[in-house]
Amino acid sequence: MVGVLVAAGVFLLLRPGLLRVVLGFVLLGHAVNVVLLAAGGLGRRTAALEEVGSDTADPLPQAFVLTAIVITFGITIHLLGLLRRDAGGPASGADPTDGDDHTRSGDDDTGSGGDGTGGAGGPGTTGRRR
Amino acid sequence: MTGLLLLPVVGPLLVAGVLLALPNRTGLHRVAAIATMTGVLAAGLVLLVRASGGALTVLRVGGWPGPIAISLAADALSALLVTVTALVVLGCLVSAVGSGDDRRPYFLPLVLVLAAGAGGAFLTTDLFNLFVLIEVMLVPSYVLLSLAGGAGRGGAGRVYVATNLLGSTLLLTGVALVYGTTGVVGLGDLAGVAGDQPTVAVACGVVLLALGVKSALVPWHDWLPRTYPVASPVVVALFSGLLTKVGLYAVIRIYAVVYGGDPGYRWLLGAVALVSMVVGVLGAVGENAMRRILTFHMVSQLGYVLLGLALFTAAALAAAVYYLAQYILVKAALFLCAAAVRAGRGTDRLDGSGGLAGQRPALALAFAGAGLSLAGLPPFSGFLAKFLLLRAAVETGAWLAVTVAVLVSLVTLLSMVKIWSALFTGEPPASSSVAQRIGPTLVGPPLALAGLSLAAGLAAAPLLVLADTAAAGLRDPTAYVRAVTGR
Amino acid sequence: MILAATLAWQFGLAACVPLLVRHFGRNAGYPLAAGYLVAAALLLTRLPVILDDREVTVAWRWLPGLAVHAALRMDALGLVFALLALGVGALIMAYCPRYLSGDEAEHDRVYLTMTLFAAAMLGLVLADDLLVLFVFWELTSILSFVLIGQGGRPAATGPAVQALLVTVAGGLALLTAIVLLAVHLGTTSLDTIVAEPERLSGVPAWVVGTLVIVAAFTKSAQLPFHFWLPGAMVAITPVSAYLHAATMVKAGIYLLMRFSAVFGGSWAWDGTLIAVGLLTAILGALLALRQYDLKALLAYSTVSQLGLLVGVIGVGTPEADAAAILYTVAHALFKATLFMLVGIIDHQAGSRDVRELAGLHRVMPATVWLTALAAMSLAGLPPTIGFVGKEAIFEALGGAYGAGWLGWSAAGLGVLASVLTFGYAARLVHGMMEGPTRQRQLREPSWAFLAPAAVAALAATALGPTVAVLSPLVERAANDARPEGTPPYLAFWHGFTPALGLSVLTVLLGVLMFLGRVRVERWLRAVPTAPPFAALFERARQALVHAGAVVARTAHAPGPVPYLARPLLAAVVLAAVAAVALPDVPAGLGGDPARPGDWLLLGLLVTALAGLLVVRSALAAIGLTGVVGLLLSAWFLTVGAPDVALTLMLVEVLTAVVVMLALRQQPPRLAPVGRRRPVAGAALLAVATGVAAAAGTAVLTRRDQVSEPGRWYLDRAEDLTGGANVVNTVLVDFRALDTLGEAVVLAVVALGLVRLAAGRPVVPASTGPAGDDLVLGLAFRVLAPVMLLASAVLFLRGHEETGGGFIGALLAGTAVGLGQLAHPGGAPLLSRLRSAPLVAAGLLTATIAALLPLAAGRSLLTPLTLSTPEPLPSLSTSLLFDLGVYLMVLALVVAAVRRLGMPPARPAVPPDTVGAR
Repeated sequence: MVGVLVAAGVFLLLRPGLLRVVLGFVLLGHAVNVVLLAAGGLGRRTAALEEVGSDTADPLPQAFVLTAIVITFGITIHLLGLLRRDAGGPASGADPTDGDDHTRSGDDDTGSGGDGTGGAGGPGTTGRRR
Repeated sequence: MTGLLLLPVVGPLLVAGVLLALPNRTGLHRVAAIATMTGVLAAGLVLLVRASGGALTVLRVGGWPGPIAISLAADALSALLVTVTALVVLGCLVSAVGSGDDRRPYFLPLVLVLAAGAGGAFLTTDLFNLFVLIEVMLVPSYVLLSLAGGAGRGGAGRVYVATNLLGSTLLLTGVALVYGTTGVVGLGDLAGVAGDQPTVAVACGVVLLALGVKSALVPWHDWLPRTYPVASPVVVALFSGLLTKVGLYAVIRIYAVVYGGDPGYRWLLGAVALVSMVVGVLGAVGENAMRRILTFHMVSQLGYVLLGLALFTAAALAAAVYYLAQYILVKAALFLCAAAVRAGRGTDRLDGSGGLAGQRPALALAFAGAGLSLAGLPPFSGFLAKFLLLRAAVETGAWLAVTVAVLVSLVTLLSMVKIWSALFTGEPPASSSVAQRIGPTLVGPPLALAGLSLAAGLAAAPLLVLADTAAAGLRDPTAYVRAVTGR
Repeated sequence: MILAATLAWQFGLAACVPLLVRHFGRNAGYPLAAGYLVAAALLLTRLPVILDDREVTVAWRWLPGLAVHAALRMDALGLVFALLALGVGALIMAYCPRYLSGDEAEHDRVYLTMTLFAAAMLGLVLADDLLVLFVFWELTSILSFVLIGQGGRPAATGPAVQALLVTVAGGLALLTAIVLLAVHLGTTSLDTIVAEPERLSGVPAWVVGTLVIVAAFTKSAQLPFHFWLPGAMVAITPVSAYLHAATMVKAGIYLLMRFSAVFGGSWAWDGTLIAVGLLTAILGALLALRQYDLKALLAYSTVSQLGLLVGVIGVGTPEADAAAILYTVAHALFKATLFMLVGIIDHQAGSRDVRELAGLHRVMPATVWLTALAAMSLAGLPPTIGFVGKEAIFEALGGAYGAGWLGWSAAGLGVLASVLTFGYAARLVHGMMEGPTRQRQLREPSWAFLAPAAVAALAATALGPTVAVLSPLVERAANDARPEGTPPYLAFWHGFTPALGLSVLTVLLGVLMFLGRVRVERWLRAVPTAPPFAALFERARQALVHAGAVVARTAHAPGPVPYLARPLLAAVVLAAVAAVALPDVPAGLGGDPARPGDWLLLGLLVTALAGLLVVRSALAAIGLTGVVGLLLSAWFLTVGAPDVALTLMLVEVLTAVVVMLALRQQPPRLAPVGRRRPVAGAALLAVATGVAAAAGTAVLTRRDQVSEPGRWYLDRAEDLTGGANVVNTVLVDFRALDTLGEAVVLAVVALGLVRLAAGRPVVPASTGPAGDDLVLGLAFRVLAPVMLLASAVLFLRGHEETGGGFIGALLAGTAVGLGQLAHPGGAPLLSRLRSAPLVAAGLLTATIAALLPLAAGRSLLTPLTLSTPEPLPSLSTSLLFDLGVYLMVLALVVAAVRRLGMPPARPAVPPDTVGAR
């Protein structure tokens, strides 16, 4: 299960498009959660709510998972925020592929003038895709 | 006494909350933030004094017993790093006043949260809590990075978040696997386990890999120079002082405690260290803007610290600790110089006009001091750090490491000279307003930090004693483990 | 103590420079010269002690752990070099006022750096600890860099950098040598090391010896490092005279002399010094002969003379040491004089080209005759100190290797170098005297300008016949350099010795060469004499920069993909290595925990994921991701994690809502997957990572026992906290610090969202209620109160059953989200929620709840419970804490929904961004 999730997640990560990256991380997050629960041992599967028996699941990994889910959620939202902002920017109209800001990548500052290191002269294949 | 351990973690959070509740009062915010970090600094110093006497300060959060509670503990290493990073944050806060960064909404609360996360990460003894606190530290950095400046940050922001998120995912996986193999996540309970059980070693290897990604060691380094330079220099100074250092601290701590300094892995650490040193410094020489050069140097300098860890003798560890502590100050000073340069000239690229040495001699002095320290020239702390490290390397007969360390040091100087020649000497620009824009709040912090570097070089004895104590604690973590587990 | 006082005096002098310059302007050089002399006098008070073969020491603990002391020690050798530094320094300071023009800032800089340099030089020769020596050694390099690049003329940058890099490279060699010594001998005390040379032997001795030689050769401009010195001539003349003729370049000589006691007598050490030294002497002289620029001529002359000194030190007899010391003094005197005079000529005539200075002696007779006097010293003509010195050198060279044929060859080479020296000295003087006067308008400089040079020239001449004055000190110094043997008594007239013969020979040959100078010159032009070390160095530097650019290029890749691939690859490698290296995993550990239901879920999961990978529609991709999440929640439910399942489900729903909101204005299609090869690569890495992860999980998580802490929680949680939901108690009680952390994470993300969206109108006025979706609106109206109520219930009961702050807030958040979907223009009631105050409230509540126990004298985050009447839930700090968490989570959701959900009011592009494009 982990393997499938990870494979799919990684594949998405390595493809262009920020949305794919977001979804890829969501999947990876799921995978880690499964690993965490597995780390508690999957042999016991009763919720740790009322009576504690021999089949009661380890509660600690569940607490870990809860924390992890929430953090992943937070960062996912942040990524979406980035996606949203960049999409609303000058290159809007397309799912912002990573090449979009290639023309900007070499620069560092507010309009400090020229950009000699890499951006403007770089390969323009990914420039503006519409 | 144990309440002191809370100050670096909860203090900034509380103040951040207060600041958020009282928006639009910049003056108050500044005072409060600076006061908070001064408090953290004071707490760090007290912890440091206690730790130098060999006493560990331990706090079990919630008052639960050993293996259950998350414990915070300050030995010499942790206390030193808390203190040093508090200094850096203070410097950044003052510089932010000058550069106008702190007028951005939420800047100060975010910095405080970041500082809280870093402080916590230095103090915690629990792997999962480490993960959480690293996130507490990273998330403000995501926001700060995307808050800053102008063009280019979109892509950089994405790279930054994506890389660090992957690092965090790996870290969490590693923690999960450690729990899977051992059933515990407390450092104290894990002491020496990786040395005994290969499965734990693998699980912990994932943790170390993740931390390696976060501390930007080669071959996972290039996100750092890709992303940092787009942020405002004050923010980069903050990042450089805190973020990667937390990763490196954790690597050191975990290798020392969980692996017990297992010699079987030292060659690997050593190789990563040397390659980091070389690649980092080469990249720095090849770059053309102050912040980019400096970020590449981070890779290189972290390599030096890691080299000390890889040698794992008492002398080498002391050298690594001393190196790390002074380097945090020096690098922050350099970035704050960049902040001043950028405030004055509008850019920190090297192809603009120069002449800053004549216009702002104090800034030139700060840069020269910090730059020489970075290159390991006397009488600054960087020299002593390099000397200690070389000494340790010679003692263990690591000739390759000695050679690389010396050569990298020379190339470091080359790149510092490159900055110096381009920005500080030469013809000043026609407009005379450059110097006026660099006020005392921008010059003061880097000068103070460079002065600390000088002091740490000339009056090194106390710091060296601390480094020795920290190194002893790393070589033999028994006391640490006993204090943390309460057994 | 006197040593420390002198050093402090000198540094204090440097500190006073700005004051002096403000008071005296460029004349500040005169008080400074006096100050130098005071320092020299302070040291001279100890002369009797020194001559009595005792030494003056002082030491403080510097790095006690490393047995490194801040120790100073003065013996005769140190005193000679210290007096040189201070004496010549005083002359140069007195020379500066008339030389300098320019503004006050420049005077400040020149005087300050020069005075600091003098102090550094003083420290260097007085240091008794190698580490202290190294500190000053590098300080001289740095100050030299500053002085060469003074004023920042663009033309000066290159040479300054070159000089710095070469000398610092040498410095690093020295540092390595010091480290080796420290490790092998356990001390860095120069005194101790020199006193017991036999303790160093074998390979370390070889390495240290080589490194010391490299250090000295870089500093003293010996082959193949000589090229930086002529380049350094771009500095102003006082700097060239002081640093690059009289003092700094002598630091290498000093170092070699010091270490002669340790390595002298070894074949390799002596041979290297003699060979390289004499070769440099000859090459330098040949190069000097080719120069028209007087300053360049003097620079190569310095290279050559230093070579001679190095060669003599290599001989290693007491005579040789005495000769080296004497000649060091002599060279400092006449070379500084020559530089000063050339500076005067340059200053007056505006040129240093010997071809433009013809007939200068008619308009500037004093200057030219003084030059001639100093040149006599350079050429080794009597009665000057140069003559005595060269005589001593011939004698010493002849005595090398027991005066065998090797010794005579050395002497022969020495003579050759001296003949060439005679040649260029003659050329220098002759150039100013021959032919008609080119520049009639020139005048003699003021006496004040000339005086320092005159003093030095006359001293260099007078010290020839009266050289016996120096004898006691030189003898002692030679003895300090190498304790064995008795150095000879210095005298002007030794009688008819072979050395005198060589002197005569030198002069004869020199005169012959001068007479045939036209032919010599033609020959010199034809023969390439210098290997292009400088060009090689420059090319190496360029190559380095280029390599750096290549290395740096990886950090310019725009997208995240390459940055992600490597850590993943590393993880796969780690797994592969582990697979090979790990011993067989104990079989049957816990058995296969999979159950039939799992396989069903897995099948569904694979289907969903496969779909996810191929779909091109963004909506479908989001939907399928949601499906995956729901499948997992279901699975979590089956493994006994209802809290997790519920949270995940809510998170999935919320994520979906937020994504929908964020993407409302996005194109419905994903970017194309890309070209085939990268796809294949990504797929390969993906599969590999997947396999690694699966294997890792399978191998590393098969525990069948509940972990120790887990057992503890299960057994004791309810008793201790009063909460039946163990997972929740772990979250809010036992590991509350984690929970605080994650809540803070969310709070910060909320702030970030608010910031990211800043610059857009917060509430879009354009879309009114008209845009509301009726069905959703109805659903919202019905569902929202229910959800909010449920949220409250979940929150309150969290401790007992499934629920808690997170889940409650997430549910409330979902309601807000629904509201936003239904009423893009702003849902009633909820639109009044602002996230920043929520964050503040949440953060404050949580931290205060965390800190409250402190007030009660308990530890952080210790749950405190207030007893309350039965029907109400007990009011504990845990609950308060959870409330803080609730608020922060809600803040995030509100921020996400509102900020991301806003219609695409096109953001104002910052003007600078436009400019940058």
